[in-house]
Amino acid sequence: MKNIRKFNIIILTIGFLAFTSCTLDGGESLNGASTSSISDDLSRGELPQAISGILSDMRDRLNTQVDVQSIMGREYYYFTSSDPRFEGDVVTGNLDNQTFYTTTPWGTRYAAVKEVNLVLSGLANTTSDFSAAEIAAIRGVLNTLKAHELLMVSNNQYTNGIRIDVADPDNLGPIVGYDEALTAIAGLLTDAANDLASGGSSLPFNLTSGYSGFDTPTGFLQFNKALTARVEAYRGNSSAVLSALGGSFMNMTGDLTTGVYHTFSLSGADLANPLFIAQNQEANVRVAHSSFLADAEAGDSRINKVTLRDTPREASGLVGTHDVWIYQSLEDSTPIIRNAELILLYAEANMVSNPAEAVNAINVIRNAASLGDYAGALTPSALEDEVLNQKRYELFGESHRWIDMRRFGRLSELPNDRPGDMVPSAVPIPNDDDF
Amino acid sequence: MLKNYLILLMFCLASNFISAQMVSGTVLDDASMPLPGVTIVVKGTTTGTATDFDGNYSISASNGDVLVFSFVGFETQEVTVTSNVVNVTMQSGIALEEIVITGLATSIKRSNAANAVATISADELGGRTPPQTLDGALSGKFPGALVTSNSGSPGGGLSVKLRGITSINGNSQPLYIIDGVYIDNSSIFSAGLNDVSNASGGGASANSNQDNATNRIADINPDDIESISILKGASASAIYGSRGAAGVIIITTKRGKQGKTIINFSQSNGWNEAINLQGQRNWTADLAESAFGQGALYSAAEAAGTLTDYEKELFGEKGFISNTNVSISGGNEKTTFFTGFTRNQEDGIVKNTGYDKSSIRLNLDHKFTDNIKFSLTTNYINSSADRGFFNNDNSGTTLGVALATGVRPWDYLFPDENGNYPDAPHGASNPLQTRDLMTNNERVNRFIGGGTIDVNLLRTDSQSLKFVAKAGVDHYDMTAKVIFPKELQFQKSENGGLNGVSAITITTNTNANYSAYLVHNYSTDNDLSFTTSAGVTKQDFSQNIVRVIASDLIASETNVNQAANVSTDQVRLEQEDFGFFAQEEFNYQDKLIATLGVTGDKSTNNGDINEFFYYPKGSLAVNLNNFDFWGSSDVLNRFKIRAAYGEAGTFAAFGSLFTIFNNTLADGNVGIIVPGTRGNPNISPERQKEFEIGFDAGFLNNRISVEFSYYKKKVEDLLLRADVPTSTGFSSEWKNAGELENKGVEIGVNVQVFDSEDFSWNSNISWFTNESKMTRLDVPTFNLGGFGNSLGQFQIEEGKSVTQIVGTTGPGTPVSVLGDAEPDFQMSFINDIRYKDFTLSFLWHWKKGGDNINLTKLLSDFGGTSADFDDFDVDPDGLIPNGNYRIVNGLFAGNARPFVEDASYWRLREIGLYYTVPEETINKWFDGVVSNVKLGFSGHNLINIFDYNSYDPEVSNFGGTGLSTGVEVTPFPSSKRYMFHLSMQF
Repeated sequence: MKNIRKFNIIILTIGFLAFTSCTLDGGESLNGASTSSISDDLSRGELPQAISGILSDMRDRLNTQVDVQSIMGREYYYFTSSDPRFEGDVVTGNLDNQTFYTTTPWGTRYAAVKEVNLVLSGLANTTSDFSAAEIAAIRGVLNTLKAHELLMVSNNQYTNGIRIDVADPDNLGPIVGYDEALTAIAGLLTDAANDLASGGSSLPFNLTSGYSGFDTPTGFLQFNKALTARVEAYRGNSSAVLSALGGSFMNMTGDLTTGVYHTFSLSGADLANPLFIAQNQEANVRVAHSSFLADAEAGDSRINKVTLRDTPREASGLVGTHDVWIYQSLEDSTPIIRNAELILLYAEANMVSNPAEAVNAINVIRNAASLGDYAGALTPSALEDEVLNQKRYELFGESHRWIDMRRFGRLSELPNDRPGDMVPSAVPIPNDDDF
Repeated sequence: MLKNYLILLMFCLASNFISAQMVSGTVLDDASMPLPGVTIVVKGTTTGTATDFDGNYSISASNGDVLVFSFVGFETQEVTVTSNVVNVTMQSGIALEEIVITGLATSIKRSNAANAVATISADELGGRTPPQTLDGALSGKFPGALVTSNSGSPGGGLSVKLRGITSINGNSQPLYIIDGVYIDNSSIFSAGLNDVSNASGGGASANSNQDNATNRIADINPDDIESISILKGASASAIYGSRGAAGVIIITTKRGKQGKTIINFSQSNGWNEAINLQGQRNWTADLAESAFGQGALYSAAEAAGTLTDYEKELFGEKGFISNTNVSISGGNEKTTFFTGFTRNQEDGIVKNTGYDKSSIRLNLDHKFTDNIKFSLTTNYINSSADRGFFNNDNSGTTLGVALATGVRPWDYLFPDENGNYPDAPHGASNPLQTRDLMTNNERVNRFIGGGTIDVNLLRTDSQSLKFVAKAGVDHYDMTAKVIFPKELQFQKSENGGLNGVSAITITTNTNANYSAYLVHNYSTDNDLSFTTSAGVTKQDFSQNIVRVIASDLIASETNVNQAANVSTDQVRLEQEDFGFFAQEEFNYQDKLIATLGVTGDKSTNNGDINEFFYYPKGSLAVNLNNFDFWGSSDVLNRFKIRAAYGEAGTFAAFGSLFTIFNNTLADGNVGIIVPGTRGNPNISPERQKEFEIGFDAGFLNNRISVEFSYYKKKVEDLLLRADVPTSTGFSSEWKNAGELENKGVEIGVNVQVFDSEDFSWNSNISWFTNESKMTRLDVPTFNLGGFGNSLGQFQIEEGKSVTQIVGTTGPGTPVSVLGDAEPDFQMSFINDIRYKDFTLSFLWHWKKGGDNINLTKLLSDFGGTSADFDDFDVDPDGLIPNGNYRIVNGLFAGNARPFVEDASYWRLREIGLYYTVPEETINKWFDGVVSNVKLGFSGHNLINIFDYNSYDPEVSNFGGTGLSTGVEVTPFPSSKRYMFHLSMQF
């Protein structure tokens, strides 16, 4: 009997507990900070992390874009045993609007744009004690980076167009054409330049070592002007190019590699350089297009950007005898923009109006590559050939060839090694964004 | 206290009917076990009682009265009273009288069930041939399931889908409950694999689903299982609320029986081998010359005798299998126990792979009093799986990709006498070296325990009230170790490697569930009975996964601190669910049986954590044969029509409410980056509404029985990780944005072809089909589960089949439908034949139709090594060799058609031949110490017939979640198993 009473009590207790413990607590996200924590109110402590996030994400899957552009510019081929589409679709120009070579460069760059927009929104809503100069400097940096990311997308999409206004994911702005996109990017850079000019003497956050020398508002303004020069060149505004270069870090006597870089490392959550492959590999290789060596001027030291393989690598009728050897470790930096490009932009901007000045700039580049001075004609078309040629060798594998040839309407001159190969002029708009 | 009342009541009754006497006795079942709860009525009166836990009863009756003994699942017996002791042995009904589960607290005999609940007995589960994993043993054994093994890797990794597609991005795997304990069935990827294979790109491990992970139901030991009930859809599983939509698999383990202590021992040994090796091209020096310009190398290797079939070298092993099982059961009238020890060891068909599992179980039942019963279930499992390195990669390092793309027969890859392996001359990795030196191990320590208290609060002639409380816990720690030593070709610094990678993934998972309910039975005088049940349930889920990846290792150390570079990752999950249910069952003379019920639950996983979601159900079964008008017909002796409707849900994935930053590092500065998937604070569970109708019929006194079901299930508020324009900065967003529908037919026929003392033959045929359709899609058409349109992928599109596979068919062509993963139908054919002391039993399984995306051959085409490279059966015109066709006219032409293949199969899934040594012989040998000696041979997948151009049409590169099974990228090849058995009883 006693037992039974005891059990009755237990049962009642269990029943009572079961029915009363029914209000739930919890429901937290547990695994990370909410995006609204930045966009609702940016604090001084969050700012460096948000900026580092942008700088980090600007590198995400960079290789996809660089490889696709380098293949389409017939600079090199990328053969990978596990994804044959680099020797298929990308070389034949039969680009699908849902496959990674289309969607990855678009999506990853817009992710960085999103991060910029979240910080911009957080900056507008901030309750922290940022000074007006600090706010201007932060905004200047953010808009410069955003302009760069949009330019990267635009380079791929060309006349298919891009979106500029993407701040509200539920209400995206329209896709705008190439000219309008470049105008908007130039506008962003101009606004950013104004902000940077009134941005005081120091930035309230750290940049990576890839920005060393450009990590103050005035230094960053030089980077902004360098990008502006590139955009104006794409827009065909020679005078604007020259004026932007004047504010940039262009230096005819300086190191050609001076500039702004993406950095890579193997530590922790950092990214390794995705463009590095050791020499003489078999499964995954970047091999120079045969024309790179064939077309090189005798004595050009820049042919050391490729090295002779022990054995040629063949893939579906394409053959590579030389490995691309631009980056030599998983921790090498990759350029965002550097002095050599600025000097060649200067040459390009001068080749019609001031051929002699263009030749001076060309000679800086040629001499650095152990080549003698330019001895060709001073006609615009001859100089165009030479500028394009110098860009090809000086900026090999840095995503310029395809864009430059396109700008001058010369894509048809790029070689096709197999029947059916074709160089496309633009990457399609990804299916999900095609509306 | 109650007992006092009862005794008092009986005493009063007894004193009223002086002429009557107290008749008492014990009711046993056919196994001589006491049978509690048997209803005893004096025929023609309202006097009745029921047996207690020990099967004892007493009732007031006179000589000449007829006592009617009835109990669910047993044949009703009538006995005329001739003395004051009437002992009865009840005969359990034939298979028809089997019990099926209808709720958390209730069950019903099958002949009254309104749902086609499938059940699998211990014998059906592992009696033919021992299964490697529990979920694998379900295949082909009941209608309505599509069970797919993701690969042949030892240690599991399966997908079980009940009645078509339940969810596209939500959970589509059924809920497993063992003895009332909610079992975790997570599939947790191991850090380090994707970092080397780069399968998901970017190197980051987050959400890598191409690493061939196991799923945790593999831990459960099939030997311990007594029976399995399968609630296939919401009409049966509504009581499980937001966890029930994908179906519920309810497992009951073996328990002890009162009486002599019985020891069962069984030992099985055997081996496995690859089902279908692909072979090689017909290499000659000329072919080597024309394909690669390596005729000379071929001739040299031929002369040196070193030409090697590397497929055989890698996949040609015979893996040794050993299963040992000892179980001891017994007990006295108060306490019974069952304890089981099992050790399974199985080597894979690839060296250094294998699976090793030990399981110990103790199940205990104890009666405190006649009315209070306690039962305990405990199970400890320790398992270790070595999985090898397979599936998709982007670095040429997995064994499969290396074999397909980078190895030619004249390459020499064997180590020298000091164990130094040469680099593969044509690939990124030497697969023999990778196989021998890398580690991919998952080790699990798991404890599953549950307790139930069962109390009879009230028992009278016409009603009873029972209280049941249950608690259960499922806890495991899993340590996954992935090591790529620095000696590996692709780890060497001079090859651009990371100089060694060591990664560890530690998972701690704890599920706890509690429930308490009351069950009330009430019978009226005219045989109308009511069963009311109501209760509350609570579940807590907690998971913590920590991943550490180290690279550039010091010397040959593998601890993750012995390295230059270390990265870490942690993912936590905490979820609490609370629910209640109420259910009413009516039974009118076993003629009309109706059920109504509702479940309400809420969860911390929902946007509003205290909002209840309600899931109703209702069902009706009509046993026409029990009505008087039916008469007694031998031809059609049983006919039941049934209909059931129910709703159940599927929770959104944990964390889908939130948009949270991922972390990153840039030049030593920590940074935050937006995630790929945008959260949705308003996400709610998806809701399945299932309607099922059918009939059960018995012919010729049930020698032939037929079960037919038709179902239609609609899933509303479909959880979609919908593609969004990536210019938003996100690639997808969680949404409740669509509706899909599954319709299907399930037919089961059982024929007792022959049944005599010496010879019996029972045959079981089931046929089932399912058709799914996206009836509404509120987001644009999107794709998943594949590698783009030029290789074929799944496409979710309004008005189309949910599992359609689409792709382009040429340059610039629009996307068109190239296939569908859904089988046209499946059929299984089970025969159990006994002749004297021999039994032969086999299971044929036919899956007709259903397509895969097969990319393995394409990869080996690129490596120039496909066995069928020079055949001519892919080109519809028969002009271009297969290898060239797939590359040039397939991939390069943006034509996905060659990659979408029919994945039909027809296989002898299980066969078992056993000989039971006659008792006289055994007694002669062992003098009565040993009994039930059984010898046998069995096999799994011994005969496989398919046209599919790879190792096995049962395959999935993306694991078992979602609907993207059936994509193949160089998997671990499937194997068949041969086993020999000996079992005996002491």
